[in-house]
Formats: sequence, C-alpha cells, structure tokens
Amino acid sequence: MLLSYLPVLMMIGFVTFLGVAVLFVSSLLRPQNPYGSKLSPWECGMEPVGDADIGHFRVHFFIIAILFIIFDVETLFLFPWAVILADKSISTLAFIEMFIFIGILAVGLIYAWGKGALDWL
Amino acid sequence: MVPLTWFLALGLILFMIGAVGVLIRKNIIIMLMSVELMLNSVNINLVAFSHFLDNVRGQIFAVFTITVAAAEVAVALGILIALVRNRGVFSTDEIDTLKG
Amino acid sequence: MAEKFFFLMFAVVAVGSALAVISLKNPVHSALSLIACLLQVAAIFVLLRSPFLAVVQVFIYVGAVMVLFLFVVLVLNIKKAQLETFPKGRRWFAYAIVPVVGIEFLAVIFGKSFTATGYEAAVEEVKVATLGRALFTEYLFPFEVVSILLLAAMVGAIIMAKKRWD
Repeated sequence: MLLSYLPVLMMIGFVTFLGVAVLFVSSLLRPQNPYGSKLSPWECGMEPVGDADIGHFRVHFFIIAILFIIFDVETLFLFPWAVILADKSISTLAFIEMFIFIGILAVGLIYAWGKGALDWL
Repeated sequence: MVPLTWFLALGLILFMIGAVGVLIRKNIIIMLMSVELMLNSVNINLVAFSHFLDNVRGQIFAVFTITVAAAEVAVALGILIALVRNRGVFSTDEIDTLKG
Repeated sequence: MAEKFFFLMFAVVAVGSALAVISLKNPVHSALSLIACLLQVAAIFVLLRSPFLAVVQVFIYVGAVMVLFLFVVLVLNIKKAQLETFPKGRRWFAYAIVPVVGIEFLAVIFGKSFTATGYEAAVEEVKVATLGRALFTEYLFPFEVVSILLLAAMVGAIIMAKKRWD
C-alpha cells in the first residue's frame, strides 16, 4: 500500500532539510570577508584566456547521451518482459519478440559504430 | 481518496503552463522543455483515467508516450545542435529563412 | 484525507516548478526546475497506484531526457542562450488565449455533464506483470513499431549531430 512509500518521502524530506540546514548554519558561522584577490588564480598559473564555456564539450558527449537514452528506453520494455517470462503461455512468443526488438535496435548501434560515433578522438 | 477531477485539473494546469512556455519563450531549449511538460501532463491524465476506470490500457499508452517523448527529444536536440553549428542561431525569431 | 494532503503538496510543488521552468532565464535553471517538476509527477503516479510508471518517469525522464538537455546546454554556448529575453509581440496573445481555453476545460471537468467522476478508484497497485501481459499480447505490434521508431530516432539524431565533426 501507499504507506510503504512513506519512508522514501521521509528520507527525501530529511535529506533536503539536512542540506539546507548545513548550508544555513555554515553561512552563520563562517567569516565573511570577500575581496577581489580571492577570485584571482593564486601564486601559480596564469590568467585564463577566453571563456570556459565555448567549444570545450564536444558533440561526442551528445552522441553517447543519445545512445544511452535509446537503450534506456529499451530497459523500460525489458522490465515487464522479464516479469512475464515466468508465464508459460506467452513466454515463447514474448521471448522471440523481444529479440526481434533488440535486433532492430542493434542495427542502430552497428550504424553508429560504423559511422564512427563511438570513436573517442 | 483524491477525486479524479483533481488529477485532471492538475494535468490541465501543467498543460497550460507548458503551452504558455511554448508561446512566450524564444529560447529553443526552453520551448522543448515546455513541450516535455505538456507531454507529462497528458501522461497524468492517461494514468489517472487508467486508475479510475481500472483499466491497464492508459498505463500502456503512457509508456508509449514516454518512449515517443524520448525519441522526440533525441531528434529535436540533434536538429538544434545542427542548427546552432551551421547557422549560429539560438532563438526562433532568427530562423526565418522560409519567410520569403 | 492524508492522500489529499500529499496530492496537494506534490501538485503545488509541480505547478510552482513548472512556472519556474518557463520564467527563468538561464536554461540550466529551467532544466533543474523541470527535474523537480518531473519528480513531483512521479510521486503523483505513486498516488495513482502506478509504481512502475513512477520508476520509469524517474529513470527515463529525469535520468536520461533531462541529462540530454543539460548536455546540449553544455555543448552549445550558454552565454548566447542566457541573453535571450521574452519576445514582445506574441505575449499578450498567449496570455489571453491560454486562460480562456483553461477555464473552458475546467468548466468541462467540474461541470455536471462530466460523467467519468462516478467511478470508484481501484485500491490495488497495478502489477508489472499485468502491464507486461497486456503489452506482450494485445499491444505486441505497437511494441515492435516502437523499436523502428527508436531506430529512426537514433539514426536521425546521429546524422543531425554528426554533420561537421567528420
């Protein structure tokens, strides 16, 4: 019943409270003395050139994320499939169908592989 | 027990917020997020009816909606990346080549 | 009673974070608000006795879709995105049309002629086995079509994103 989900909610509430409380209490206790030199690279290193946010993350990340999302959706169908495999009356059909499903998705994976989307340059 | 209408009203409000987001924002990423919001509100409706009519079809439909949403996001963000790389634009007001 | 209280709590947080999604300027903040909103929707799925969909909501939407959104914000130049403001011309139209349609729908839902309210809600949770049995008998063909859809999405997204990194 729904009561069994209550510990999850309590834990989420407690963790949120703890995170906020730690930040709040430490903001009360710590000394507050900001000045410009604190933001500069200290002693070694040099002033950064250009912005950190342009072109440092490659599209590779995105391709990997797309492959991840597609196979994540596949697991969404694998869960009910795994549960009903115990049912003898439809398990054979479901087994074959799932392998057709995986086979079709494997074609996409092979395509990505062949296109070099998985190479990490 | 929470009545059915409450769930429908929540789905409606979220759908309206998503529609406003699509209409008033220019940033393509946030427009896509608003579309996701609208899809989610539809899912709430489907699952609510599935629960109250005691019929599993609504949940199956919600599963397919989630799948389609994931595929849609993958393609839409791919298009967005191609757009930004080739044209360097990020807002819908600058994509007006077909306007003539 | 307690259920109503939890529903209202989740609903208020969901609506608040949805409003944050469309009103915050920084896409990263919007994405984080949307994650909060989607988690509330997952909680509402639990209230609707659909634990499987709640889990799916967390690990597809929050775990994959929103990560993809955040990756795109990283890959693209966020400064340009940050500077976006709201367009002027279309706003009044959106603000005018949406409440009208919304009130219309609310009138339908809470109206006398809406007959779906007479049903009693099921008490039991929907088991994953029930879902799976329906999916692999009645909905077998849509299930296979989904694989074609995912294949098309994968190939399309790779072609789109690949264009200029030969």
